[in-house]
Amino acid sequence: MNMTTLANTPFIDPLPAHGLWFVLLIPVAIGISITWKAIRTPDLPPAPPTNQAQFPLRAVLLQSAFMTAQIVLGMIALGALSYLAVQYVVPALVPK
Amino acid sequence: MPKSKTRSSPDFDQDARGFAPLAALAALAVPGAGQIVRGEVARGLLAGFGVLFLFFNGLFVGGIDAIDSRENRLWFFGQACVGPIAFGVDHYHQSRFKIADGSGRLRPRLPDENPGNIRSLGKMGELGTLSATLAGMMNLIVILDAAFPSTRRKPSTELNPATAR
Repeated sequence: MNMTTLANTPFIDPLPAHGLWFVLLIPVAIGISITWKAIRTPDLPPAPPTNQAQFPLRAVLLQSAFMTAQIVLGMIALGALSYLAVQYVVPALVPK
Repeated sequence: MPKSKTRSSPDFDQDARGFAPLAALAALAVPGAGQIVRGEVARGLLAGFGVLFLFFNGLFVGGIDAIDSRENRLWFFGQACVGPIAFGVDHYHQSRFKIADGSGRLRPRLPDENPGNIRSLGKMGELGTLSATLAGMMNLIVILDAAFPSTRRKPSTELNPATAR
């Protein structure tokens, strides 16, 4: 742990994780998924019931996890496609 | 008095339309509060949690520089959709972490000028700003959902067969 990490003040200073920036896509995807599924899920009860079996929270969270995986895998696929385009397709199109 | 209906109740009228001004005001004030005002507590709590999670994730990753109405005005337009929380954080940023130069313009404090903060640059700054702006964009959807009853959401047999028609 270096001195920059020790001096970090959460929510005031940026997170000293510049080498792991791509991992921070995951919490962004989680937030988007939870919000979207909270709005789009049709059968949420008006209030959380005491009987857990009646409450589809588990289903909502499972759907959110599935959507998170879709976003992350989609971004990885887009990154791979961009890599292939830049490394192989574009050089093949440019006249030598 | 007729029984109030919510979209999640089994007897919800799928054709319900209109504008709910009280829910809209509540949604503008606090993320998810619009759904709670309309009686959909679970939905409001989940939506509010998602929006605030995104917003504070942006602050955590990018620091307070992620919310800056003066230096990142266009991004702040999106972040402002989170509501008074975004304006409060921006006011705190402008008043506590910037000082006026000779011409009266605000500038970031230098490292030896306290209370200063580490400038958010590069990937961390971009990700923090993006996350906070996405929070505003998602909250805009939440506000619209609270203010205008939707007819697009259909009961699902997968989630709760008892309420499906």
